[in-house]
Amino acid sequence: MNDVIRIALTKGRLEKDTVNLFESMGFDVSAVRDKGRKLILPINGCGIEVVLAKAADVITYVEHGVCDLGVVGKDTIMEHGGKYFELVDLGFGRCRFALAGKKGSDFYKGYGVKTVASKYANVARAFFESKGMDVDIVKIEGSVELAPLLGLADGIVDIVETGATLNENGLEVYEDVAPVSARLIVNTVSMKLKKERIDQLVEIIEKELRDK
Amino acid sequence: MRKYDLITPEGTRDLLFDESVARRTAEEKLRRLFENYGYSEVITPGVEFYDVFMLKSRYFAQETMYKLSDGKGRLMVIRPDSTMPIARLAATRLKDEIHPLKLFYSQNIFRINPKDSGRDDEITQSGIEIIGGNVKKADMEILNLAAEAIKTFETNDFRFEIGDGAFFKILISKLTDDEDETERLREYVENKNMPELKTALEKYGHSNQADILYELPKLFGCSEVFEKAEQIFKDEKLVSVLEDIKEAYAYLCALGLKDKVTMDFSLVNKANYYTGLLFRGYIMGYGMPVLSGGRYDALTGDFGSPCPATGFAVNINAVAKALLKGNRTELTTPSDILVYAENDAMQKGFLHCRALADNGIRAENSLNETLEEAKEFAQKKGIKLIDRVDKNGNVTKIQV
Repeated sequence: MNDVIRIALTKGRLEKDTVNLFESMGFDVSAVRDKGRKLILPINGCGIEVVLAKAADVITYVEHGVCDLGVVGKDTIMEHGGKYFELVDLGFGRCRFALAGKKGSDFYKGYGVKTVASKYANVARAFFESKGMDVDIVKIEGSVELAPLLGLADGIVDIVETGATLNENGLEVYEDVAPVSARLIVNTVSMKLKKERIDQLVEIIEKELRDK
Repeated sequence: MRKYDLITPEGTRDLLFDESVARRTAEEKLRRLFENYGYSEVITPGVEFYDVFMLKSRYFAQETMYKLSDGKGRLMVIRPDSTMPIARLAATRLKDEIHPLKLFYSQNIFRINPKDSGRDDEITQSGIEIIGGNVKKADMEILNLAAEAIKTFETNDFRFEIGDGAFFKILISKLTDDEDETERLREYVENKNMPELKTALEKYGHSNQADILYELPKLFGCSEVFEKAEQIFKDEKLVSVLEDIKEAYAYLCALGLKDKVTMDFSLVNKANYYTGLLFRGYIMGYGMPVLSGGRYDALTGDFGSPCPATGFAVNINAVAKALLKGNRTELTTPSDILVYAENDAMQKGFLHCRALADNGIRAENSLNETLEEAKEFAQKKGIKLIDRVDKNGNVTKIQV
């Protein structure tokens, strides 16, 4: 166990981007590409094990130290918090949190308390707290765009990549909240006890990111 | 309305047998160690006024404390930390006592963890505090005892980490005096959040201090960090703190801990009362420190009686968990003998129990109705021998 470094990847796009990064670093990622239904996969020849998990679970596994490292979006980090080292901005998975709502209406107009819908209730709350603004926050699990359209909310805080979904539904971005990209996180104890291995890996990753 | 009468609150649990033994054993070992080195025990109240933890400098976020109000409507907290009550005690009732004070405690603290985090809200902490005395000598003593404390757990798989809160404080004082900004940067440094730290430091340009602060989270590891630090620390104050850590490192090496000690210059504890030398102890295979402590010279001053102080606490829950994980043998063993007295010989049976117990034999008095039931009970509990006592006090031995 001391020799293997376990890295948790957020399933889906971040997983693919990370695997591509590993491949360009010269790692043998065949087992990960060819994963079938397996959830724990070796990267042959360098003592690294890849674990596939949902975004928030990546944080949980790293926080508890059962995975040494994790690749997770800044969006999940902002929503879930937690105690770990956030070592490297991996640069991929780039998008942003934005406040959006119906085209043409002024979100800040009037004295009434606004209602904001979001999948990321904590991010939305922190954003309006930093503005000293009192808002009602409603947690929505998916297709948040519906909330202003159906009249449940005055605005939404959500992840925006191209803005195409917003546009097609007659919504627009009012304001950017925070930029988002994939981060490499490290368990605080692993960072100390497996320093050499982790340093080495981080160094190759940073070099690869610079050379890109 | 739902009744919660069958479960324990989140973050707490019932400890059964082995778990209890593991905790008490760890506590006992530390108690013996602390007593042998001349420390005296104190017990502070389980509930304190909220104000004790809400001093000029706020060391604990209020949402992490369990709160209630007393009969006069005053806000109270269930003890979230032992060091602050002891600082209060030192600044009040023990103020005129001859210094240095060497105190130890072993008591539970309560903190609210985020929901579903799987962490303990109730933690047993055993630790020591030195109030007063020569700063350097006290620092060395505390390091020495921290190392001894970890060693009592008979694991060779431990690490010791030292740092100093002063590095961050010196650097930040030259960049900003804004509290929120300081706290934000402190968080980035503590979490080695390099991308955010870089962005946050951009507005300070490439000033020398900002550049060093950016390097601070990377300054951890073995003795090679001293060289790295020497190259970038030019400031007199930083150099002097560095010399102190070197001295502490040399001291730990002299104690035979060379390959166990690492440094981290960005150690800045969340309970931000630490002002100087800081340290943590880790046991391999447990994702969080099992021991942490350091120097907190300003804290007693917050209670009106300034005095240098240092201490550490061992997280007994963590130690017990780490040790139970490594140890597969059962800690609790069945009684040696089950004493079954005939129904007309209860008094004789109990006398026999006492005779056995006096000789150090663990004798359990059977409360079963019949011998058959006693046999079944012994079998299920793993007790190998039954002593059957009749009304004349005769004992028949029965193998189970």
